[in-house]
Amino acid sequence: MDGLGEATLRALYLLIEGDGALWNIIGVSFSVSGGAILISAPVAMVLAFLLAYVSFPGRRPLISTLQSLQSIPTVVVGLLVYMLLSRRGLFGDLHLLFTQTAMVIGQIVIAFLFVVPMAHGVLAAADRRAWETARTLGAAPWRAMLTVMTELRFGLLAVAIAAFARIITEVGTSIMVGGNIESFTRNIPTAIALETNKGEFAQGIALGLVLLVLALLLNVLLGQLQGKGEMR
Amino acid sequence: MNGMDVDQPILRLRDIRKTLPSGRRLLEIDELSIHAGRCLLLTGANGIGKTTLLKILSGLEPPDHALVDCDGTHLLWSVARRRFRREVIYLHQEAYLFDRSVTDNVTYGLRGLGLSRAQVAERVQRSLEWAGLSHLAARNARELSGGEQQRVALTRALVLTPQVLLLDEPFSGLDEESRSRTGFLIQRLKSERVGMVVTSHELLPMSGIADEHLELHAGRLVPPTRSVQRASTGHRPREVMAPGEVAYFDTKGGR
Repeated sequence: MDGLGEATLRALYLLIEGDGALWNIIGVSFSVSGGAILISAPVAMVLAFLLAYVSFPGRRPLISTLQSLQSIPTVVVGLLVYMLLSRRGLFGDLHLLFTQTAMVIGQIVIAFLFVVPMAHGVLAAADRRAWETARTLGAAPWRAMLTVMTELRFGLLAVAIAAFARIITEVGTSIMVGGNIESFTRNIPTAIALETNKGEFAQGIALGLVLLVLALLLNVLLGQLQGKGEMR
Repeated sequence: MNGMDVDQPILRLRDIRKTLPSGRRLLEIDELSIHAGRCLLLTGANGIGKTTLLKILSGLEPPDHALVDCDGTHLLWSVARRRFRREVIYLHQEAYLFDRSVTDNVTYGLRGLGLSRAQVAERVQRSLEWAGLSHLAARNARELSGGEQQRVALTRALVLTPQVLLLDEPFSGLDEESRSRTGFLIQRLKSERVGMVVTSHELLPMSGIADEHLELHAGRLVPPTRSVQRASTGHRPREVMAPGEVAYFDTKGGR
């Protein structure tokens, strides 16, 4: 316990004193995951909308497949992206492996597979009158879609936040396609794994604390959004 | 739909067919005409297809088949539906109002019409005054009472100056005062030459409004078994009725 207590105190000290390496790791995590969610969530939500509101052959099997892929292990996504970006892969010429861009791509895939079924659930359960009202008042389909999404903004934002929480804490894809390179592709989860292996618990705990505080804040935010959504 | 004679219908559909996924034929209507300034009351049992018919008329739901008379030619519904936009407006049984202010709700349909901000504001203000809703303009529409929401929905449709309004049970769930106000607004819309189709389980509120009454039965439009008619004439089912002049009676079995 003494060791844990001492390591925790050192961790807090590292955070408060603004340790450059530590905050660089935090910065990588937020920029990679933030970029990934900003790119994937809007596209995923449009697809979720189409699945919920447009009938086409094969829609049901597609929904079932996407629902199954929602909980795909992140290492499997990492493996897939690795194979595509490696030298002999389809996009090997782009030399993206072990870069932040590769990490963003991996997290885009994870977030996309998470958001589509979740957002589809929100949209499919929504009041169809929103769409019908928008259309009967003359809105073009794309505008009616935006109107429906605006009506469901709290639920959809909650989905995006949950997806962000999933990708910022995932380690499988980040370590496989990012390579855990110091000051470049090392993010919070990969750094925790490395520091723990090295026996450097203080930095691992400090980063863990950041994730815990983040998880707490996101949960509070989710709770508030769900409350607002239920009130309406 | 524009530039027609007064006696010509503003919208006429023929051969409306709709079958449910279960295979049951829901609608099999040979002809349905809507005239400017006239109100068609549509009654029928629950689940008989009244709402589906209104949604087909508004372009919200595709029929299996329907022809629309457009400028002297018969167009398939799928071709003609674009012409319906903003001219034929459907109002749900329970009005759906967007989660925003009354003004924003009323403004919604005016966006994309190429009107200036000043023109939009002027039309919205005029419509709100028309409906007696000016004092609620800044309120969130979701916070209003059922009757007020129904009036906002009517105003939101009115501001687009539609040729046809399709009202699905507009009096359902409203208290007496709200019914009276809603009925008054519908009457005013009629006087402004808006053609209407109204479904209603309750005949009383429609007594001074309906010009024609048809019943949807087994997919077809037929004369009603219980009708709104003039008490004095009894046999003029398509007359315009003045409030207080009506009585309800079974056309098969007397009053």
